[in-house]
Amino acid sequence: MTTAPEAVSDERESADGRDDASVEAEPALSVSGLSKTFGDGDEAVRAVDDVSLDVQPGTVVGVLGPNGAGKTTLIKSILGLVVADEGDVRVAGADVYDDPRPAYARVGAMLEGARNVYWRLTVRENLEYFAAIGGESPAAVRERHDALLEQLSLADKADETVNDLSRGQKQKVSLACALARNVEVAFLDEPTLGLDVESSVDLRREIRRLADQEDTTIVLSSHDMDVVQAVCDRVVIMNGGEIVVDDTVSNLVDLFRTFTYRVVVGRTDAVADADDAPLDPDTRDRLRETYAIDGFEDRGKWTAFEVSLGDPERFYDLMDELRGADLVVNAVESVDPDLEAVFLELTNGDGSTPMSDPGESGRTAGADGGDRA
Amino acid sequence: MSPETAGPGESAARGPRAGDGERERGTATLGTLLWAQTKKRLLLMYRYPLNTLSGLAMTFLFFGMVFFGGRAVAGQALTDSLGGIIVGYFLWSMALGAFSGVARSVTQESEWGTLEQLYMSPFGYGRVMIAGIVVGLLESVAWGAATLAFMLAVTGKALYLPVATVAVLTVFAVAPAIGLGFFFGGLALLYKRVENIFNVMQFVLIGLIAAPTVGVVWLRLLPIAQGSYLLTLSMQEGIRLWEFPPTELALLAGTAVAYFGLGYAAFQRMAGRARRQGLMGHY
Repeated sequence: MTTAPEAVSDERESADGRDDASVEAEPALSVSGLSKTFGDGDEAVRAVDDVSLDVQPGTVVGVLGPNGAGKTTLIKSILGLVVADEGDVRVAGADVYDDPRPAYARVGAMLEGARNVYWRLTVRENLEYFAAIGGESPAAVRERHDALLEQLSLADKADETVNDLSRGQKQKVSLACALARNVEVAFLDEPTLGLDVESSVDLRREIRRLADQEDTTIVLSSHDMDVVQAVCDRVVIMNGGEIVVDDTVSNLVDLFRTFTYRVVVGRTDAVADADDAPLDPDTRDRLRETYAIDGFEDRGKWTAFEVSLGDPERFYDLMDELRGADLVVNAVESVDPDLEAVFLELTNGDGSTPMSDPGESGRTAGADGGDRA
Repeated sequence: MSPETAGPGESAARGPRAGDGERERGTATLGTLLWAQTKKRLLLMYRYPLNTLSGLAMTFLFFGMVFFGGRAVAGQALTDSLGGIIVGYFLWSMALGAFSGVARSVTQESEWGTLEQLYMSPFGYGRVMIAGIVVGLLESVAWGAATLAFMLAVTGKALYLPVATVAVLTVFAVAPAIGLGFFFGGLALLYKRVENIFNVMQFVLIGLIAAPTVGVVWLRLLPIAQGSYLLTLSMQEGIRLWEFPPTELALLAGTAVAYFGLGYAAFQRMAGRARRQGLMGHY
């Protein structure tokens, strides 16, 4: 087995969203050239295609992608539950394929949501069992279990069988079991799927706390963009088994920011019962021509329009233009893309076709299998 | 990477490694694992009381049907062979418990979504399975003892019970059943729904235990057959372990180790194939 590359690019390092000191540490998770194909011949499906990534300790990485993008196969291949055809995986330096037991001592995984716990055991019995098979004496991690139960609002349910809990509580038990011992890397597959708002918030808070306070590295896959945007330092977007984007949430959103604003204006001398639209035809034509504004929406004494400026400096030009036309600006609202909009843009809406290249400036990985940031 | 050899890592060292830092790790021993499996099994038996009690009741009921029904039909013939029937039934209940304990645990854990968690144990999946099997074997022996006591009470029959001899012979006699459990558990990983095979195996086990090993010596090479033969001799004629010819004991040990080993090897191979095909967590 080859070793993981020691050098990582500057781009990849900064994509971790970590400070310089932590970037120099050994990656908590290192994946190199991981590939997996199911089936043979014409029916072969390349589920994971030459995936490489390094994740520094204490980083929360979100793995996004449309259905069938390869997220779950990637996570299971990293864990050795699906045997990859090629590639290396190291958890804190321990090779998952050649030397799995030291690697497994360092990881916890929540793979099947509420399914991967024993429903006829109590919450605490589950924690103790999974701690024990994970290599820890239940007595040695009793305080940890108490703290986990407290943080996940399960303390009063500790002695109830999982079967009697709500779906959200079951999901929390599943997360707690993945963390029943002091793991360095936690893999969470759709941790908030089907949760109510309150439970989802609890889980998000706990994920962030684990990363910030316990330096736990977390790899989570989710379709919930709000969760990913809220808790992840870094986002990996997969499509067709490849990593097509690997960057921080803020960088991704910035990459697609068009400096689009929704502006509402009115006449400086407008009166409450005025019938005429505040923008005269000449002003409309001038704004259309200068700023490529598609349409205007008249609402009594106010007119609203959306404008994409491309360059933030042009915002001031627009304001000057409006003031020059004796217009008063009632409201300006930034219409920035959120992670969901970015994701849809990158995967062409449904992931059925390859992504569009968002530009040279982004740390978007191409399909050439080169250095994936 | 060598996927073919990437098994559960039985040979891998475990425990704290350099660079662990302040993270304490590896406080559990094999004893902890065994106790965890024992506690889980006891709790699940307690939390599924109907399943537990109905299993025991069915074992008793089935023997009652064999005994009372057989006596009504066969009369003295049944009485003459009662000792063999009791020993055979005793062994069958334990072999079935051991077989299904292994095979069904794979399907149940897969169905519950916990199989992959067990696979990722730093102890290694093999050790987790073995610990579960030890617990299952103890459970089978406990049920077997209860069944034996019930049969002796119902029939009024007296048998020899040299405890150490019976215990050793039972373990070696049941070992091939565990091997078969591994084999069919491996099949369950690949093909999932194999419950019908489990049901058929109940009758296969009867056939193996009742095989006419006295007349057809080579039948003793079959799983369980030699164990059944020696256990019957011990319990009916009071023969102690050290009184058996070494060749008989060697054959018992050989078949036990061979079938257990073959079953385990087949399971490992099928588990590896299930991982390559991405079937480990499917059900």
